[in-house]
Amino acid sequence: MTQQQSYNGYQEQEPPLPSAVPQATENTEMVRVEQAVKRFGDLLVLNNVSMTVKRGQVVVIIGPSGSGKTTLLRCINHLEKIDSGYIYVDGQLVGYRLVKGQLVEAREAEIAKMRAQIGFVFQRFNLFAHMTALENIIEAPVHVLGIPRDEAIAQAMELLRKVGLEEKAHVYPHKLSGGQQQRVAIARALAMRPKLMLFDEATSALDPELVGEVLKVMRQLAEEGMTMVVVTHEMGFARDVADHVIFMDHGVIVEEGPPEQIFDDPQNERTRNFLGLIAAD
Amino acid sequence: MFDWDAVWKFIVSPFFLQAAWTTLWLSVVAQLAGVVLGLFLALMRMSRFKWLSFPVQVYVWFFRGSPLLVQVLLLWDGLPKLVPGLLFSQITCILIAFSLNEAAYMSEIIRAGISSVDPGQMEAARALGMRYWLAMRRIILPQAARVIIPPLGNEFNNMLKTTSIASVIGLEELTGTAEILGAPSFSIFELLIVATLYYLLLTTLWDYFQRWIERRLDPEYAAKGGRPGRRPGQKSWAQRVLGFGNPPLESGELIAGGHGGAR
Ligand SMILES: Nc1ncnc2c1ncn2[C@@H]1O[C@H](COP(=O)(O)OP(=O)(O)OP(=O)(O)O)[C@@H](O)[C@H]1O
Ligand SMILES: [Mg+2]
Repeated sequence: MTQQQSYNGYQEQEPPLPSAVPQATENTEMVRVEQAVKRFGDLLVLNNVSMTVKRGQVVVIIGPSGSGKTTLLRCINHLEKIDSGYIYVDGQLVGYRLVKGQLVEAREAEIAKMRAQIGFVFQRFNLFAHMTALENIIEAPVHVLGIPRDEAIAQAMELLRKVGLEEKAHVYPHKLSGGQQQRVAIARALAMRPKLMLFDEATSALDPELVGEVLKVMRQLAEEGMTMVVVTHEMGFARDVADHVIFMDHGVIVEEGPPEQIFDDPQNERTRNFLGLIAAD
Repeated sequence: MFDWDAVWKFIVSPFFLQAAWTTLWLSVVAQLAGVVLGLFLALMRMSRFKWLSFPVQVYVWFFRGSPLLVQVLLLWDGLPKLVPGLLFSQITCILIAFSLNEAAYMSEIIRAGISSVDPGQMEAARALGMRYWLAMRRIILPQAARVIIPPLGNEFNNMLKTTSIASVIGLEELTGTAEILGAPSFSIFELLIVATLYYLLLTTLWDYFQRWIERRLDPEYAAKGGRPGRRPGQKSWAQRVLGFGNPPLESGELIAGGHGGAR
């Protein structure tokens, strides 16, 4: 698809944000990970991980440090390449394409196009330091999707309103608190009208009193029906918002199920230990 | 006897004005070529592919490890021997040698600049669907420029003086002109003084220009009041052209009608 076409596709999605609801198709799966294996040198970080995320679902991944949660998220939008297995987003194979029955590595343009449809929120925000909040938000819509600048600005202002930062539009990131930066980062991701949002410990770099404002935005997004994969240590959020909880340890999905089961009646010893440790904090 | 009259006579002569102009444009062109080539070398050097980064390592090793004078002579005397019938002018020879040499230094400076940018910036750009070059141009280089500009200014100062090497193959820039004009009348010393005054003039002017640019790129500049008449948060032309050096705004401070001064 050319830039022009994707821009037209964008326009068809009127009315504009903030209703960030992905379009439903007959396919009910947004993410499908099949036997993903990832190594860093000798270290096996993902060991045969399989999972699915349905459209509109919020899946929360929990697990101890180093269990491979971040790596799994990064593989889903191909910031990291899996060594074997398959990952599909919205029915499309991530990072590869089929040519005459053979898997070939996708070209940069194809990978970029896929990433443009997946929002990623980083632990460390990663706002563009040389741009104001508004400039951060319109950057990719203007330069990747080719949306006219005025339109992008109008949309960005609406998103800033949505995350409660309208008055910070012209402020540079270093003048914003961590919680404000993260909310701008979420708005920046939403400006691409993603069909899927990935959150990697979006609140764990924040001072405790700033966690709430970011979780509130994430909660609202979940209520609007956004498909989300959320890595977090916020167990209260996981219990309230998640449709499905996955517990990972040492690169393996140890246990998964609805939040009531995982939090109130964990079946696995390791899950119990982990949740016990968290509760003891 | 030192002949002051010769100094005065030659300092405003068309010979030296022409020579100063040659020195200046040689420096500018070689520096620009060095920056552009250096950028590509830096990106190759930072590639995770060995077949891209290794040749650059060898390139930099050679050009930084041997004298520029020798590189010029190799090109001037050596190349026509290797490729019979090859003819190029002194200017071409000097521009090639200087650009290639400068590119080696610039590649290291640009690499340091790019490395100074938090890798999270590139990750965020890519996660938004930006391709490598777009992310480089819009996100990484504008932030790297802050680190690159000061040593780049020093490189250009050096370049203005280093062009004197061109005199060894008979190019009439400042030094060459002093030698050529001075030889018949035995007034080389006087004419070298003239050349020196011109070098000092050029480097001093550049020094002022460099400081002016750096001040303008200082993010605190506009906040401190900057130039009278500029609204707080408004970017100077240097900031707009180079796309960085953003003035920090006080929280809640809004620019009427503007959008942070972006293009
Ligand atoms: N780029 C890398 N190179 C080498 N090892 C890595 C790299 N990234 C992650 N690792 C290792 O892979 C393992 C899993 O890391 P990952 O970041 O996915 O864990 P995590 O579950 O997100 O942990 P945390 O809760 O601390 O964020 C860790 O042992 C980590 O040290
Ligand atoms: Mg992590």
